[in-house]
Amino acid sequence: MTVVTRDAVTLAPFGVPEPELQYSAGTPAIAAVDLVREYPRKRKDPVRALQGLSLTVAQGEVHGLLGPNGAGKTTLVKILSTILLPTSGQATVCGHDVVRHGRDVRELIGVVMGGDRGLYTRLTGRQNLEFWGALQKVPRKVLRSRTEHLLERLGLAAKADARVETYSRGMKQRLHLARGLIGDARVLFLDEPTMGMDPVAAREFRKLIGELRDEQRTILLATHDMTEAESLCDRVSFVRDGTVVATRSPHAVAGLVSAVQGLELDSADAALAATLAEVPGVTSVTTDGATTRILVRSQDDFPRLLHLLADHGVTSLRTLRPSLEDVYVRLIGDRGLEV
Amino acid sequence: MGTVRAGFVLQMRFYRRYPDLLVPLLTAPLYGGIFAMIMRYNGRTDLVGAVSLTPFYMSLWWFALFSGGWIIQTDRWEGTLEYLVSAPADFAAVVFGRVGATMLSGVAAFAETWLFARYVLRGDVAVRHWGVFAGSFALTLFAMAATALLMAATFVLARNAVTFSNSASFPFYVLSGILVPIALLPGWLQPLSEAVFLSWSADLLRASIATGPVPHPVRGMVMIALLGTCALAAGYTVLRRILGQVRRTGELGLR
Ligand SMILES: Nc1ncnc2c1ncn2[C@@H]1O[C@H](COP(=O)(O)OP(=O)(O)OP(=O)(O)O)[C@@H](O)[C@H]1O
Ligand SMILES: [Mg+2]
Repeated sequence: MTVVTRDAVTLAPFGVPEPELQYSAGTPAIAAVDLVREYPRKRKDPVRALQGLSLTVAQGEVHGLLGPNGAGKTTLVKILSTILLPTSGQATVCGHDVVRHGRDVRELIGVVMGGDRGLYTRLTGRQNLEFWGALQKVPRKVLRSRTEHLLERLGLAAKADARVETYSRGMKQRLHLARGLIGDARVLFLDEPTMGMDPVAAREFRKLIGELRDEQRTILLATHDMTEAESLCDRVSFVRDGTVVATRSPHAVAGLVSAVQGLELDSADAALAATLAEVPGVTSVTTDGATTRILVRSQDDFPRLLHLLADHGVTSLRTLRPSLEDVYVRLIGDRGLEV
Repeated sequence: MGTVRAGFVLQMRFYRRYPDLLVPLLTAPLYGGIFAMIMRYNGRTDLVGAVSLTPFYMSLWWFALFSGGWIIQTDRWEGTLEYLVSAPADFAAVVFGRVGATMLSGVAAFAETWLFARYVLRGDVAVRHWGVFAGSFALTLFAMAATALLMAATFVLARNAVTFSNSASFPFYVLSGILVPIALLPGWLQPLSEAVFLSWSADLLRASIATGPVPHPVRGMVMIALLGTCALAAGYTVLRRILGQVRRTGELGLR
């Protein structure tokens, strides 16, 4: 019987120390310390969107922000891009303070926020890019060729001279992205950039992010798409109630909950499956084609399960490690639609 | 400079896409015709030239108020304001460039009004004092652009901006003496109209097409420049404060 168990298995508590950064030393691209942001409300206590959030992103890193609706991701992005002021705490982008040296920060960043708004809808895509490029201080000659390149790269060339109001949602989203890239930013803030994009466009987008990473740009990516985060990010931060709960590389996130979540074996017959389901601690047994998956509540339930399987002559087993999505659900809590 | 230019080009493109912004160019000749007829009916053909240029000021004010004054607020509604303030370019320069383009439509309004007055209404609008005309005209455009910047900044936070912009025009026309000569206003109103740059502009422009010398041309131009500069400084200050305020309150992106 081959059971691949890694190190001692415990349910890691929140706030496990962050692993050392393996990126280039020197000034971090993004550093936030104890950020608090309150939104005033009429005749009520203010909403605390950020409650002492701290985060460090190295130069050249692609960093994911994961968290439920209302966690504070957009608020963080807005503070870092100088759109909002923090109520307290500090943040720097490439060493420049976002409050005191906002102008220096703006020279370095590109911002893409999700949604239909934020473009001049009666102007064409090309006209929008030209305007925003000029605001990013791109020299006119360069601007022309870069506009052309981005329209091409984002598959908008055919619609370049149509009014933006005639674009589909995904096309608007791509234009948003092109706008974020027009200034040749060192640090990019992308807030749900693939929202509304079709799968092919989203895949192209991921390729593009890969290229941007190769160019040593830093990217802060807020997303609800776990596959996207898993495939793009060097590290991800889980944000909940305005604080960072944990930061890990997507491949190491499993360690945040439990290293082994269950077992997978070559198809068990119905009788065995029924027996397995009866074992205390087993939460589910599912058979899908040629494999059966057994999920357990905790590591302590393994020995009994393993004995039982050995008794039934099962000799080949694989451990199941939780996916990013599993970790997300465990870390953030199963709160349903509550916000 | 590139930023002012970008704002200018943007606004010109808006005029192509939102032709309704150019409505005053349609109404100006109608007003001119009405004013000229009133004068003719009263036997004052000598005044036809002066009154038939009045619609120019009305158009200029209209451009400043409706296309200029609403620039920032519409950016807020469209969701573009957040991107504008996160760009390295100076936001005030973008707004100034756009307001500048609205003043260019003011130049078009002048050309239209003048040609209509001269060839249709047959008024005596020949320019007799070119120096005064050119100087006061340029200063007027500058002061009006500065006023538009001030309104644009103020409208962002003034809750009753819509009411203001819909009702401010007539009092402004009266105070600036473009409808009735200031000398005919009640005495207590007259000092107030001295604080309105357009009253000085209207005096100089009328004098520049009149026969006889222009009274106090330098004083008039200094006043326009001064009042325009005050509006520009106030507009710039209000803009800074308002951007700071909406960044603090988080209202930047709200509609
Ligand atoms: N302008 C605002 N005024 C008042 N409250 C606000 C404002 N913007 C955000 N909030 C509140 O701040 C909290 C954080 O919102 P934020 O938009 O940062 O969340 P998010 O993580 O981006 O969520 P989502 O995944 O839905 O985009 C929420 O409780 C939200 O209601
Ligand atoms: Mg958000």
